[in-house]
Amino acid sequence: MAIKIAGIMIVLLLAGFPMMVPLLLGAFYGFYELFSGFSKMEFMVQQMLAGIRPASLIAVPMFILAAEIMTRGQSANRLIDLVMKFIGHIKGGLAVSTATACTLFGAVSGSTQATVVAVGSPLRPRMLKAGYNDSFVLALIINASDIAFLIPPSIGMIIYGVISSTSISELFIAGVGPGLLLLVCFSVYSIIYATIKGVPTEPKSTWGERLGAMKMAVWPLGFPVIIVGGIYGGIFSPTEAAAACVLYALILEIIVFRSLKLRDIYAIAKSTGLITAVVFILVGAGAAFSWVISFANIPQEILGAVGVDQMGPKGVLAVISIAFFIGCMFVDPIVVMLILVPIFVPVVEAVNLDPVLVGVIITLQVAIGSATPPFGCDIFTAIAVFRRPYMDVIRGIFPFTVILFFVSVALIFFPQIALFLRDLAFR
Amino acid sequence: MASSEEGEDRKYRSTLPGFLGTIDTFISRFEAMILAIGVILMAANTIINVIGRFVFQHSIFFTGELNRILIILITFAGIGYAARYGRHIRMSAIFDVLPTKMRKNLMIFISVITAITMFALCYYSVGYIISVAKSGRILPSLQFPVYIIFLWVPVGFFVTGIQYALTAVKNLTEKDVYLSTHVIEGYDDDELEI
Repeated sequence: MAIKIAGIMIVLLLAGFPMMVPLLLGAFYGFYELFSGFSKMEFMVQQMLAGIRPASLIAVPMFILAAEIMTRGQSANRLIDLVMKFIGHIKGGLAVSTATACTLFGAVSGSTQATVVAVGSPLRPRMLKAGYNDSFVLALIINASDIAFLIPPSIGMIIYGVISSTSISELFIAGVGPGLLLLVCFSVYSIIYATIKGVPTEPKSTWGERLGAMKMAVWPLGFPVIIVGGIYGGIFSPTEAAAACVLYALILEIIVFRSLKLRDIYAIAKSTGLITAVVFILVGAGAAFSWVISFANIPQEILGAVGVDQMGPKGVLAVISIAFFIGCMFVDPIVVMLILVPIFVPVVEAVNLDPVLVGVIITLQVAIGSATPPFGCDIFTAIAVFRRPYMDVIRGIFPFTVILFFVSVALIFFPQIALFLRDLAFR
Repeated sequence: MASSEEGEDRKYRSTLPGFLGTIDTFISRFEAMILAIGVILMAANTIINVIGRFVFQHSIFFTGELNRILIILITFAGIGYAARYGRHIRMSAIFDVLPTKMRKNLMIFISVITAITMFALCYYSVGYIISVAKSGRILPSLQFPVYIIFLWVPVGFFVTGIQYALTAVKNLTEKDVYLSTHVIEGYDDDELEI
């Protein structure tokens, strides 16, 4: 049965079906086989509705709403300005600034696509003008935007937390370390690249200009304080932090910056609702699917066949990393999580791995896979946003994949990169 | 982007003929309204609850239930709306490089299978609602029957099924490859929308 379900799903996914259909038909087939007929299909609907029920999922539309408000407002530009004034003048300064601005905006929005649009769109022309090669620029924007996956808030982490019953607060805090490590690695590569290619540096800003930029950016910098500070300090649950972010974004863009009018909110809410629905129907379908595979003991079957139980914790982490990386090279990260997380949960429990560490490693792999050819979904975001051909977008990606590979290995061997802050806050 | 989508709503016309078309156009506007108002209500509900907890040391007793109702409404109004505008997530990289004739045939196949799946789920969700109604379960804080919150579920599946069925028809009758009843491939005006 496992092979048949996997076969159906892979064919349908690659053929270009809406991604809810492979999940739904996989579940349908499973229910049909398990209960020999259509007698329990209503139970499948029940599982779908139960899948979108957890209260912590409400954080997803709230963070999307906050990001939508900010992408249309001024927050991104102010953050970019701040970063440029401080580090724009060093060797490779524009590239390092781009990576830093992506990380900062990731701490504000939690969506890779929003980061590509909000930070990548204004900075790419500036980098091209300064003499960077377009392939490098595109690869940098895609990969640096993926840091948003790891830096809280992270929609992927919320979904992982809900499926695997792991604390979302702990996941958020544990993502900070690896996210910053990626930023450092990308920055070092940018500096080396700029030195070898002899890209000219930008003029240095005066302290007066820097102070001005700080004043402008002080408001948007409140978001990481609310999210990380609020959760770290035990004040907010992730859903409450998300609600606080929406309120803060509204106050900022409507009252302080006056960049949005109240009537814009209707359109923003509608577009948030649409994105939410598209994700939540997948979550519901994923829940029905995951019920089938755990009821049929498929995880044990697959993992037993691979021999995971003899691999020990590090081996299991390696298998998980490879599975998620490859999955995300082909399909949307949320779908990969919905399918693979329930398969790996039993083995994670069996070898006594920390589910928070597993969550961070999965999120990192999801980020890498999404930026990797042939079909990583960020590549297509970049094609759509920047209107560049496929080959141009993927040409510069390889060095980043190498960096990401080393960070993945580092995370498996030095889990403290992720767990240090978590232990400090929660243990 | 926002304003253009607003305009899209107003000029949206169903491809169904006559009275059915009027109903479908009405449903489309209703879906857009549920999406927007649902999200606004959910945000207000969650924010007020946070403020209530911190300022007045009191949570609102029905926040959880209200959000649960809203998320069901948003999800099932949204799947129909997403189907109209071809916004469901799909991996189209292989699809896109196929020759036009194959793309068209594949799109018809995809639409038909998706429509059948949606109609089946519509049928089974009606069955599920009936069983919940018979059980007589009541929402603990809001005190009304649980089945009411699921009423839009079959409607959402049905509308989505109709949209995909119409997409198949559109591809059979027109020259271009249609990704949904209103989106011809290649016109990626919606791609930038986040």
